[in-house]
Amino acid sequence: MKYIVVLLLALASCHAIDRPRGVSIEKASFYQGGTEFRCFSNGKTIPFDHVNDDYCDCEDGSDEPGTAACSNGLFFCENKSFKGSYIISSRVNDGVCDCCDGSDEYDGSIACENTCEKVFAAIRAQQEAFREKQDAGYKVKLEYIQNGRRLKDEKLARLTELSKDKEFLVLERDTLQAVKEEAEAPEKEAKTKHEQAWEAVKAERKKKVEAEAASVAFAELDANQDSIVDFPEITRHPEFDIDSDGTVSDEEAKEYLEEAEQVDLTTFIEKIWPNIKEIYKPFGTKAEEPPADKVEPPLPEDPADPGKRPNFPPDDIPEGINPDESEDKYDEDNEDDDEEGDEDDLDGEYDIKSSAGSREPPALNDKVPDEDRMPDYDDETKKLIAIADEARKKYDEAENKVKDIDHEINEIKKYLELDLGIEEEFSALKGQCFEYTDREYTYKFCPYEKTSQKPKGGGIETNLGNWGHWHGPEGDKYDSMKYENGQSCWNGPNRSCNVKLHCGAENALTGASEPSRCEYQFEFTTPARCAAPLPAGSHSHHEEL
Amino acid sequence: MRHLSLLLGVLLCTCFGVHRENFRTCDQSGFCKRHRNVKPGSSSYVVQPSTLRISKTSLMVDVLNTENNVRFLLQGYGLQHGIFRVKLVEAEPIRERYEIPVGMTLVAEPVQEELVYGGEKDGKLTFTLGKNKMVINVNPLRLDFFINDEPVTSLNAQGLLKFEHSRQKQGWFSSLGSSVFSLLSQPFRESPKEENNEAAEGAEEEKKVAEDEEPDLWQETFKGFTDIKPNGPVSVGLDIAFPGFRYVYGIPEHADTFALKTTKSTDPYRMYNLDVFEYDLYNPMALYGHIPFMVAHNEKNTVGVFFQNAAEGWIDIQSNVADKSIFSNLADFVTGNSEVPQTDTHWFFEDGIIDIFVLLGPGPKDIFQQYASLTGNTPLPPLWSLAYHQCRWNYNDQDDVRTVDQTMDKYDIPFDVIWLDIEHTEGKKYFTWDGSRFSNSVEMLRNLSSKGRKLVSIVDPHLKRDDNYKVYTDARDKGLLVKNSHGDDFDGWCWPGSSSWPDFMEKHVREWWADQFLLENYQGSANNLYVWNDMNEPSVFNSPEITFPKDAKHLSGRENREVHNIYGMMVHQATWEGLLKRSNYQERPFVLTRAFFAGSQRYGAVWTGDNMGEWSHLKVTVPMMLSLNLAGIHFSGADVGGFFRSPDNELLTRWYQAAVFQPFFRAHAHIDTKRREPYLLPEENMIIARDAIKKRYSFLPFWYLLFHESEKTGVPPMRPLWSEFPSESNVFDRDDVYLLGNAILVRPVVDQGATTANVYFPGEQTIWYDIDTYKPYHGGHEISVDAPLSKLPAFQRGGTIVPRKFRGRRAASLMYNDPFTLIVCLDKNGKAEGNIYVDDYHSYAYTKGAYALTQLSFHNFKLENIVLHKGKDFTTKEWLERVIVVGVNTNPKNVHLILADHSKVELEHSYDATSKVLTLRRPGVNVADKWIINLH
Repeated sequence: MKYIVVLLLALASCHAIDRPRGVSIEKASFYQGGTEFRCFSNGKTIPFDHVNDDYCDCEDGSDEPGTAACSNGLFFCENKSFKGSYIISSRVNDGVCDCCDGSDEYDGSIACENTCEKVFAAIRAQQEAFREKQDAGYKVKLEYIQNGRRLKDEKLARLTELSKDKEFLVLERDTLQAVKEEAEAPEKEAKTKHEQAWEAVKAERKKKVEAEAASVAFAELDANQDSIVDFPEITRHPEFDIDSDGTVSDEEAKEYLEEAEQVDLTTFIEKIWPNIKEIYKPFGTKAEEPPADKVEPPLPEDPADPGKRPNFPPDDIPEGINPDESEDKYDEDNEDDDEEGDEDDLDGEYDIKSSAGSREPPALNDKVPDEDRMPDYDDETKKLIAIADEARKKYDEAENKVKDIDHEINEIKKYLELDLGIEEEFSALKGQCFEYTDREYTYKFCPYEKTSQKPKGGGIETNLGNWGHWHGPEGDKYDSMKYENGQSCWNGPNRSCNVKLHCGAENALTGASEPSRCEYQFEFTTPARCAAPLPAGSHSHHEEL
Repeated sequence: MRHLSLLLGVLLCTCFGVHRENFRTCDQSGFCKRHRNVKPGSSSYVVQPSTLRISKTSLMVDVLNTENNVRFLLQGYGLQHGIFRVKLVEAEPIRERYEIPVGMTLVAEPVQEELVYGGEKDGKLTFTLGKNKMVINVNPLRLDFFINDEPVTSLNAQGLLKFEHSRQKQGWFSSLGSSVFSLLSQPFRESPKEENNEAAEGAEEEKKVAEDEEPDLWQETFKGFTDIKPNGPVSVGLDIAFPGFRYVYGIPEHADTFALKTTKSTDPYRMYNLDVFEYDLYNPMALYGHIPFMVAHNEKNTVGVFFQNAAEGWIDIQSNVADKSIFSNLADFVTGNSEVPQTDTHWFFEDGIIDIFVLLGPGPKDIFQQYASLTGNTPLPPLWSLAYHQCRWNYNDQDDVRTVDQTMDKYDIPFDVIWLDIEHTEGKKYFTWDGSRFSNSVEMLRNLSSKGRKLVSIVDPHLKRDDNYKVYTDARDKGLLVKNSHGDDFDGWCWPGSSSWPDFMEKHVREWWADQFLLENYQGSANNLYVWNDMNEPSVFNSPEITFPKDAKHLSGRENREVHNIYGMMVHQATWEGLLKRSNYQERPFVLTRAFFAGSQRYGAVWTGDNMGEWSHLKVTVPMMLSLNLAGIHFSGADVGGFFRSPDNELLTRWYQAAVFQPFFRAHAHIDTKRREPYLLPEENMIIARDAIKKRYSFLPFWYLLFHESEKTGVPPMRPLWSEFPSESNVFDRDDVYLLGNAILVRPVVDQGATTANVYFPGEQTIWYDIDTYKPYHGGHEISVDAPLSKLPAFQRGGTIVPRKFRGRRAASLMYNDPFTLIVCLDKNGKAEGNIYVDDYHSYAYTKGAYALTQLSFHNFKLENIVLHKGKDFTTKEWLERVIVVGVNTNPKNVHLILADHSKVELEHSYDATSKVLTLRRPGVNVADKWIINLH
């Protein structure tokens, strides 16, 4: 409320001008006797004896400077020998001494002591203390400004330097990238060739395994051993019951035989087996039930049981590889096939995961069975890989240099974007932390970073808010800082903290409170907030009455 | 949040909205079900006219329940002011029923008046009391009440009377047979005088056995809590009909419309003092306090029924208009006309007796006076307590208090009282201070006092069970605590954790409690500290329905079931007594309570508890407060801004405006909400809120006058339109507008974003003037008026004179000597009337005559102040600053003030021809003097 307490810049002194009660010397000329008084704001004139007659005639209250009649008026406390001050009219004759000279209470209902001497002595002492603080603080502030500016200049210079360096490094990196790409093309080609060959081997192997499985199934399906599987033979297998009506009809069987009456082994392997291998169960298995039947092959989930996997020592079972169930069944059912498989084992240097172009070291797994591993690259390819590796290494080094320089540039930019005050005076706070301990908590303030609290007796630190923005009122932006989005409150908002900065000889967190739930208030003194002391001889007027 | 951990466990389950399952429905209450199941039309209670005994003012007659031959005694009394009292008790109870002692609800033994017995005719006994009449129908029992021969109220017209007579539990001995039971009960009963009664008694026993086999009679369980019910089924209930009445009101406290609703498809309105967390609106659930007083109003008559019973109660309401009646034919007996509207109500209580006061008006103001004659008046509050109160859970420490005090002054926002919630204590031990936050509470109180301000601290009735807490150990060692059903000190959970409760039902306990407020006992307090009783339903976090178990025992041996609804009022009373004692009965106390009962108005203010910062809750403040005012609780208010949740700026601003014209004006907020002192509002809103608060201060002389009127006449300051416009039937169900006194029509804006408001202006011959612009509106219409955020629509009635004070001070106690402005709003005949009441604004001196009351009247261009009373030694400095006459058609040439000594002074004046407002400048006369102002 600007108008409640108006600071008078002129010193009140004992002029002998007669003026109505509650009027300051400044305004005395408006109340110069005569027969009429002109209201300040709208020019309405009233008889002069209506001034201070305890009735409000002017809308702006100017006719009643010495009474409480106008609710919007102001009363001037003369405070003889001291500086005068204004109070709002409603505080005149209300039984409370507001002016230090007691001039606001003149109706006799209360006797006010003249406390001006005491009050102004206290104000002076306060001002003195403040001035001392301000002087000391301001000296430090000048250093802050100097350091801050130097730091800023350094950062700017460094930024220019880095930008130049970066240009060069980017160029170097781009060159090395071209070299790298050039070396990688033949490498990739050679590797692809090698790997395709290996894929072919694997495919052939798989086909063979499939054929074996088909043959076994064919043999089993071919109940009358006539080397032909016909649909009556299919109908024996309940798993082919498409409509689940309990029987396998001829139609259903035929559908599985691709509408043929019968098939021989070759056709079976090529056309029929791929479609039925997921459905097919060796005769006698109940399709819906878990294979508890001992006739059935065991599930592969129990690799720890060596008895059931004679050809596959448990120690060799690769972790993370889950063998396909049908293959497994096949393994169990046909020992011959297993033996053949054994014969086809390849050397243990193959790596199932290796793939063309991979720059990662092969994901070597000692437990990968030898037959599943890709054979080593030939010498020619190895040579190409070595060349490409070298090019990659150089490129990576250059790329890392660019990244490093980008990082530094970003750091500097971030710093330069911070609002460190008009004169960089708050730069001194950056990177520091300050603590304050009250009855229960230790509060921590890390300017431009965050605010936090921790129970005094130890415990978890609670984030009260991360640096947000300057939050002072209009015209005094650097009065306070806002820290926001701290830890959220139970059934409430995220914690936030307002840090009010006061002028002080040194940086110190001097108070912390929680005026609203989860909205904290810190008090912090810092030289950075100290204004330049007024030139000698003049007085700053911070006293308010 | 530092303080929440303790509550967390308790509140965790109840964070979002009311938890209805914590509270019984009718279906979960044995006696509620039993009474609701009584079938209308066949009452078995028959009057025995041969037993009639009459005195000058009373009658007594036996009533027999022919179903079981249990005998009852019907007593009737004629009382002052046109009130009948009807009591029905058991003739030979095996256990004495609880009857509320005089002095608790009844302020004194009601003064009796002559009751003229007109003899028996056609099975009807007639008794006349002045213009009113009571007719007792013999078979079945029915009581009809008449005003000038017009039937207005009837008891047991539907035959729903059910009085569960006291009985022994049918235990092992019941198997011995009914004859043995008869022998056992012999000492308790008169032996049947006639032979043929024996057979009936045999039948009675059989019936009793059957009855006793019903569930819930001897034990009830709710949410895992078992109520042992040692006395079995003891409830009482009956129906009360209001023939000719479409609307009934009252029976607070419910968060519902002012005109009560039919309960045909809901639970009955429940009356059981409970701490309901985040209560819902527009339902019949019980809340913090209850007053079993109902008023029925129609164009011709206003009648009331006060059912004096402190046990849990339920009330069903049916209306032949609202419900397309099933009972209208039952009303025909009195009206002979089924077209007549009728409201049928059905009241039942878990224990106690039937004790009904029938208030026969016939006008609204008669009803208020009649009710006040029974339960007492609202004593005139100290002026400052009618001003603005600033509260929050919690002002953290004495620095916080100082900052709020100074910042309010800085922004020039007046306030009189700052409040401290539970956190100010050491560990929720009331009468103590948290030394680290309030190391010098006395200095804090002195600082407030230097500006005429007060502090209210909270003192709840639960005492922390802590051996180092003297108030507790003292109460324990002296045996003052409420017991559990086993006879040990009841131990329940509340703010401090494990707690016990003094038994405020006992006078010696209340006296002990009152002593705790003496300055030597309440260390760190001062004479400008006043008190707030919260949680006095009582609230017990870990008990069924969050209150005392029904089988908890009071020191008298009574179960809580019998006295429950009175307990909170007795806490309030004891606290009030404490503040009286502190000032040696010189200063008027101020105590705010949450729980209340009939009579609580005698002990200070009531607020509507823990409401929410939502528009709907702002809206419901009006009907809730109208209901409270109707039932005698005149000094009532709702938390400005809403307790739970944070209102937005618009809502908070509108709430401040609305509360200006509600009796108790306090802003309050939950600890989890954002700070919301009015100066924290954005400037635009702050200015509006400040203007609103200042407006309140300018109306304080009028508020004070209204409370003077309330104390003298029982008429509430906050009134329904029908109290001033009784025959205007289209206002009977309106609760969006109301009146302050007879003069100010208030239409609070309770809708988000509203810029206009529809205002119903009552009275076809009435002119209403906007209180800010003096723009006139003619009554009998609903008119849309501008209501931007800065505007609170309020209007002064033409024909009234309202005293105000326009010099806004920072606190009301600094305004005692300030001059008056009279707002004279003329009616169609150029007349207006009003009063001025002044005293010292804080002490009891006024009760010894130290006050002045004047009658102001304006007619024939003459304003006259006639002194009705001025105490011998009473003086006041208050003078007349200004008179504003509204509705004057011509500018007078001159204006003369004529003093008591006939001296004549010419007054300056100004006239605005557009608004027809004449302002008389500075008459300067003392308001307590006789004077005349003539306009020529």
